[in-house]
Amino acid sequence: MSAGDVTYSENQNGDDASGKLLYQLEQKLERIGERLNPILVKEVRQALKSRMFVIVFALMLIFGWAWSIFGVLLVLSPGVYYNPGGPTMLCGYFFVLAVPLIVAVPLMAFWSLAGERDDGTFELVSITSLTARQIVTGKLGSAIVQMIVFSSALSPCIAFTYLLRGIDIITVFWVLGWTVLISILLSFFAICFATISRSVMWQVFLSVVLVLAFLIAGFSWSSVVVQTLFYGSLPVETGEFWVMNLFVMMMYLSFCLLFTLAAAGKLSFPSDNRSTKIRYAMIIQQLLWVGWMIALALQERDPGVFLVFASCAGFYWLVMGALLSGESPQLSPRARRDLPQSFLGRMVGTWFNPGSGTGYIFAVTSFLGFILVTAFFEITIAVGDGINWSRSRGFDNRLMFAGLAWAYLTTYLGIGRLILLFLRRFYQLGIVASLLVQVILLVLGILLSASAQVLVNGFQNNDYTALQLGNWAWTLAEASDSRGRLPLEVPILIFASAGVVFFVNVCLSLPEIKAVREATPDRVIEEEKELHPERFTEKGGPANPWSDDPSPGSGAEKPSSPEG
Amino acid sequence: MNRPMIELRRVHRFFGDTRAVDDVSFEIPAGEVFGYIGPNGAGKTTSMRILATLDVPTYGDAFVDGFSVVNDPDRVRRRLGFMPDYYGTYANVNCTEYLDFFARAYGLIGRERAKSLKYVMDFTGLDGLAEKPIRGLSKGMKQRLCLGRAMIHDPSVLILDEPAAGLDPRARIELRRMIRSLASDGKAILISSHILTELDEMCDRVGILEQGTLLATGSVADMQDGMRATPQVGDPSMTEIHARVLNTGASLGHWLADRDGISHVVVDGEIVRFTYAGDRQAEAALLREMVLAEFPVVEFAARTKSLEDVFLHVTQGVVQ
Ligand SMILES: Nc1ncnc2c1ncn2[C@@H]1O[C@H](COP(=O)(O)OP(=O)(O)OP(=O)(O)O)[C@@H](O)[C@H]1O
Ligand SMILES: [Mg+2]
Repeated sequence: MSAGDVTYSENQNGDDASGKLLYQLEQKLERIGERLNPILVKEVRQALKSRMFVIVFALMLIFGWAWSIFGVLLVLSPGVYYNPGGPTMLCGYFFVLAVPLIVAVPLMAFWSLAGERDDGTFELVSITSLTARQIVTGKLGSAIVQMIVFSSALSPCIAFTYLLRGIDIITVFWVLGWTVLISILLSFFAICFATISRSVMWQVFLSVVLVLAFLIAGFSWSSVVVQTLFYGSLPVETGEFWVMNLFVMMMYLSFCLLFTLAAAGKLSFPSDNRSTKIRYAMIIQQLLWVGWMIALALQERDPGVFLVFASCAGFYWLVMGALLSGESPQLSPRARRDLPQSFLGRMVGTWFNPGSGTGYIFAVTSFLGFILVTAFFEITIAVGDGINWSRSRGFDNRLMFAGLAWAYLTTYLGIGRLILLFLRRFYQLGIVASLLVQVILLVLGILLSASAQVLVNGFQNNDYTALQLGNWAWTLAEASDSRGRLPLEVPILIFASAGVVFFVNVCLSLPEIKAVREATPDRVIEEEKELHPERFTEKGGPANPWSDDPSPGSGAEKPSSPEG
Repeated sequence: MNRPMIELRRVHRFFGDTRAVDDVSFEIPAGEVFGYIGPNGAGKTTSMRILATLDVPTYGDAFVDGFSVVNDPDRVRRRLGFMPDYYGTYANVNCTEYLDFFARAYGLIGRERAKSLKYVMDFTGLDGLAEKPIRGLSKGMKQRLCLGRAMIHDPSVLILDEPAAGLDPRARIELRRMIRSLASDGKAILISSHILTELDEMCDRVGILEQGTLLATGSVADMQDGMRATPQVGDPSMTEIHARVLNTGASLGHWLADRDGISHVVVDGEIVRFTYAGDRQAEAALLREMVLAEFPVVEFAARTKSLEDVFLHVTQGVVQ
């Protein structure tokens, strides 16, 4: 091999400069090709040969051409000078493109992964050196390549719309750009869904759910597009428009990150730490959310902003909390190798450790943190405006609302977790089951309270009463309404139950909280020394309270610090 | 350092009430071919999947080159090639593309990849079919392709689940040759099969599994030897002997019937079968006496057990 190497490069030396440049370019391309994700390479090879892709592509072209012919007739018609044809044309192309992009491509991504899991090829891929993240991004990359193929096939037509009246370039890019971005997000979502189950029945069910979700997403986005194209224009000259786009974009990216980590976590091997990175991503999302909330509140000077953002955050932590507390309570020895060890590290880091109990506490405290920060900023802003915050419009209501939301979250998530722990004694249940338990619990909370009230008061009296204690929806609505009057016992009881449930859950999570680092096996250290000798030469860094033991080998059990 | 390449340490795997693998332990050193025999549902596939890091044991652990399959599957995977009992092939892909994909997936790049592709194609005899779509391959060819995939990254451990299933006799001999040659390269190979004659010639050692428990392990010769003295019927300490004498079958039968330690004499023309309670020395003495008594003996053999007999003897035919 090496001999061939030498003669090859000598030949190149003899060539002229342009040849050398070409050769270098070729080398560079080849190197890029080598570094491309193998899944991407394979998927693209496969996808472009697949019948589904060819059919969708052909249909799209046919519809595109049909619409173009219509467009040409429109241009030739005398009315074109009076009717702005641009929006009509663009809208048509948008629909022609939206069907493959918003429905077909994500659905193909779903089937591509689900199919591999079904026919066993996924197993073969999963035992290669590819990481779960590479598998997910490879699948997504292939979806993006398909999107690019679809969009570029239609791009001449879209360029043509720009020649018509009534449309500006920013609108064209805005519409198409967000269409592609939505398609990417839906593909992420589809890939996440495909990791949920291996059984064919589930997959059929999930794909029906997905198609519905895609159709809803498609219709919502289409209505926005139609609205913009025909009944208004983008307020491109205002700063708000761009800020809004930036905001949506950042949330979008953070969700892409979350979905990637979630899907990769689900696909990685069971003893791997599947959760810590996802929890970091959640914290990032929370920080973004807080940041934007404050920015918006400062600009609008409307405390209602806090209410909206807090509701969304509550919903977010409900879903995430249900998923996190559905994790297995056992920490694998593998995950234990990297547990934080120092006192401070344990205090902060323990809640990021995988596990059901830490997940529950993580969700509940994160939401509490959000509420405290929100309240702090509301007060600060009010004081800054010279308003006596305690008398400011509806402050009590908002505080009561946020507090009750937190208490409900703590109670429902906690009870759901206890039920799940109980059910796990008999069945093997995953995180999706945890989410289902939570949904059932929330619905039951409403139904039982409502029926209790009907039983006691009959149908006549439909005012809020203390019987609606379990009815989180009504109670929260009542709390946020400035005219609403919550009976005093309601908040007291809810807070008390939150306290009790939280306490019970923390007690049951003690084994997780007390988990300490386990020594890395000698064999692993041995190999690490062979593979990365440089990591083992340097010794001892500056002593700081966060630092874990520098050499991976000596990370033996330390006495556990009695916090938590 | 003498680390076994494959080691199962008290592996258990339960599916509900089914104990698919129930406390199995064994070791395979480098360069050894270990045959895994067992009736349907014995737990062969399940234990192989655990080794291949596709499943986790309920209790116990397994090690590949010293790495735990539970806690360091990533390290195990680098040195392990697994050929499952299904093909796992893709639509719309030809042989080269298929192998190329797995080579990339195992992190082989550039010339290294080209080299290993060529080597594997040569080794499995697929070079003629490089551009053929996988869908058009025959069963035997697919089998080869899958073996090729399992060895594309030159793993030091190979786990082959029924690699000979569906192969014609020639292909089987070919497979046997390939496996022996892989073992002589120092790879540890675990191979399961129902075709016992197959394993007979291929394996250094075999393990017999039934209902999730390992009933016996040892070299093929050991096993045959150990089982030698156990006829199908009667006292298991007896040897079944088969002799052929020219024209004097009936009189040998009478001669034998009068002697001590001999029972179940059956005369079938020139062939006389009987069971004899005695060790190998006693067998030799008996033969000498027969010759001295002027019987024209042309064959005298203690019926050695084929692996099939061993299998039938050890297992009970219980299907889970
Ligand atoms: N995923 C599973 N769920 C439930 N039971 C399983 C599962 N996989 C295997 N089993 C059970 O475990 C036992 C062992 O199965 P296994 O496939 O390991 O047998 P085998 O020795 O490979 O059999 P064969 O020779 O038929 O391939 C069987 O009883 C089977 O039903
Ligand atoms: Mg099997």
